[in-house]
Amino acid sequence: LPALVPQVQPNPLREGLEQERVPEPSALVIFGASGDLTQRKLIPSLYSLAHDGLLPAGQSIVGFAKPEYTDEAFRMAMRDACDRFARRRPTEDAVWENFSKRLYYVRGEFQDADAYQRLQERLAEIDASRGTGGRRIYYLAVPPQFFPVISKTLGERGMVTDPEVGGPFTRVIIEKPFGHDLESAKELNKVAVMTFRERQVYRIDHYLGKETVQNLLVLRFANGIFEPFWNRQYIDHVQFTVAESIGVERRGNYFEGAGIVRDIIQNHLLQLVCLVAMEPPVAFEADAVRDEKVKVLKALRDFPLQELERSAVRGQYSSGSIVGDPVMGYREEPNVNPESKTETFAALKVYIENWRWAGVPFYLRAGKRLPKRVTDISIHFRPPPYPLFRKVRSVRQHPNVLAIRIQPDEGISLRFDSKIPGPAVKTHPVTMEFRYATSFGAEPPEAYERLLLDTMLGDSTLFARRDEVETAWTWLDPLLRAWASSGSPAPYPAGTWGPPEADLLLEQDGRQWRRP
Amino acid sequence: MNDQFERLRGGEELSVDLAGIERSLAELWRNEGEHSDDAVTKAALWNVVAHTDNDRDRSSATEMLAQASASVPQRTIVIRAARGGEAELSSWISANCHLVGGSRQVCSEEISIVAGGDRIHHVPPLVNALLIPDMPVATWWIGDLPPADDSYTCALLDTADRLIVDSMAFDSIDDLNLVSSISQGTDSVPADLNWGRTEDWRIATASMFDDPASRGRLGDVERVRLAGTAGTGTFGERVSGLLYAGWFAHAVGNPDLPFEFSAAPHEGTPGFIAHVEIDLRGGGKIVLEWHRDGAAIIGRAQDIGQAMPTVTRFAVRDTVDLIIRQLSRQDEDPLFGRILPFAARLASRR
Repeated sequence: LPALVPQVQPNPLREGLEQERVPEPSALVIFGASGDLTQRKLIPSLYSLAHDGLLPAGQSIVGFAKPEYTDEAFRMAMRDACDRFARRRPTEDAVWENFSKRLYYVRGEFQDADAYQRLQERLAEIDASRGTGGRRIYYLAVPPQFFPVISKTLGERGMVTDPEVGGPFTRVIIEKPFGHDLESAKELNKVAVMTFRERQVYRIDHYLGKETVQNLLVLRFANGIFEPFWNRQYIDHVQFTVAESIGVERRGNYFEGAGIVRDIIQNHLLQLVCLVAMEPPVAFEADAVRDEKVKVLKALRDFPLQELERSAVRGQYSSGSIVGDPVMGYREEPNVNPESKTETFAALKVYIENWRWAGVPFYLRAGKRLPKRVTDISIHFRPPPYPLFRKVRSVRQHPNVLAIRIQPDEGISLRFDSKIPGPAVKTHPVTMEFRYATSFGAEPPEAYERLLLDTMLGDSTLFARRDEVETAWTWLDPLLRAWASSGSPAPYPAGTWGPPEADLLLEQDGRQWRRP
Repeated sequence: MNDQFERLRGGEELSVDLAGIERSLAELWRNEGEHSDDAVTKAALWNVVAHTDNDRDRSSATEMLAQASASVPQRTIVIRAARGGEAELSSWISANCHLVGGSRQVCSEEISIVAGGDRIHHVPPLVNALLIPDMPVATWWIGDLPPADDSYTCALLDTADRLIVDSMAFDSIDDLNLVSSISQGTDSVPADLNWGRTEDWRIATASMFDDPASRGRLGDVERVRLAGTAGTGTFGERVSGLLYAGWFAHAVGNPDLPFEFSAAPHEGTPGFIAHVEIDLRGGGKIVLEWHRDGAAIIGRAQDIGQAMPTVTRFAVRDTVDLIIRQLSRQDEDPLFGRILPFAARLASRR
């Protein structure tokens, strides 16, 4: 295969510059260009990339959506989006002027053959005038039900090419959810491979674009001190918390059919589990990294369906208050069934059955309307093998905890016991802290910037592969089916850390949740 | 917050006994911890040693590094060493604090050392003792470069991982060669703030050749013409142009690449590149032009296939910004060391 792909010589003038690799110019077509994602994330991220000089000169962007826009109207709407949401603000006129010339718009519905004809003609013009050479990236910023028709039409009209068979590259970016369950995920993947090869498919999970998530790999594999302790011999248990203080907002319709497991755990949280638990990959390359992640997912122990409550807890928020403001319960939210059984909180006890992690519980929790927005991973170490200070009454040993804060206030801290100065032997837990903002100051790039650039460069390391998605569903499906056929989620007041059952999940093991 | 800390944070310096600098700093933080309700964090990614030979430079280096510490936390050691001055050796401490994330204060420590006469030879061991362990050391040399074999300089650079200079202040081609020889005689990797001034031009130029078709024309480059901004006509004003041309000659593998340089007076910003033309054999050229109003370099290709115009953001970077960029880079820039001989060769041709 590599011999068939034309190798582009690197630009020697890029040596030593911050961006040594610049992608070849392509036409990025955004299906669903009138939607929130395009305005809040995609175009502002592309603008920020242009601002930082990271886009090739000919890179072009074509919005495709239903509303009647001209190129100019689309550009104006996108200028407004950049003014409001871009990381690089205020929008700079010189950069915008050049960037806006890259923006085009084609009006159409996803089922409309004529619209694809117009799109094709437009792309041909762009190839001729901007040197995009037939290279395409299709971003499907659309609900999953439109994926089959878009994918099929692109294939039928010959709009998908591949360097392996002598054409320019085509890549497609798919947004989550990657299916609703195993069956639908397989169906989605089946549709994808009818038109695209797996390596052309980029399943985006924006969590993987976050600096702190990428830093997990650096922390583990670029430092010598952690890996020797990163196993069952030294680690007592691991906790993951993905907490949101917001409710379902305007997404009631979507969330009713999804729930927190599908919305957060199946993708974001399992990705974090993989990065914490995976073996060192043989190389920092897409498939090497993803192979190791899949091994973790395959090693997840099945849920004990006969005594599920000992391993899995679900909850649903009732009315309460968040930072002093009263908020309604989930069932009172717009577009939510007043008798809904959808879980807005889940806590799971998970085991990874392999040599490294045998017997080490991984506790996962995610929820809406929790006291604050925070994503946090904590590694709880075992106590010392011999309690030297056991007879000293004033010494109370606390387990060492390595805490990795993904958001907000990204950083890493290590807790250990220290002697309080004085004649007596008294101890107190202290922390060593690293904070991104303190050490590096600069605001990290938006996750979408990194992921869009990686797609242009053809680097799929930070994207989910088909088998990752399907293996995750294989593991979660029995739990979701069991929940769907029994009882209701336990209520918890908004502004608390979930139902009491979530605390019991750890207390039964003599542990407790770390307050993030 | 205790009064003394408040005063130091405001830029005031506290005179301290040489032997007790570390103790005074530790005491300062301890008192602050006891008295303060605010969250104050001490941070450092670098030891930065700024070397000056007069009070004016010491004062401006102190001010610039105080600003830079907001982006790159550091232990700052500013030295004023006047070889011909009165024999003296004294020190002060201060703190540079910046708000991060709304409420957290991040503070960097600053130490000033003033030495004169034969007592300057006490400075290198003193600096050595004041460096934070395990953090890299950047020595920023402000003013005339000393001879490469000078014992004082060698002792001071002995611990430096990076030697930062600003070639815009150079008097002659000898200074360019001197940077090379200092770095060869010590373990310090040379870094030039003026090289940083060419960065946006290098990005703008590279972006014109990202397209594979135009990249194929790199072998056809027959001449680089460059216009810079002139002030009083010093050698240093030409160095950014020489570095740029040296870089380009190196990249295309032609040390004898014809190069023309002209300079026009320019109020306020002497020594900057303003316009570049790259002529190609068989017709066609690349033109890069600084548009001051738009704060951008506009790149255009004439008679070269599909090469698209490019816009690269460009603002005249001040010294603080250049220092920050230098310190934000943990690894050395291996390219710069390779470019220096090319630049020196071009300079000697004229």
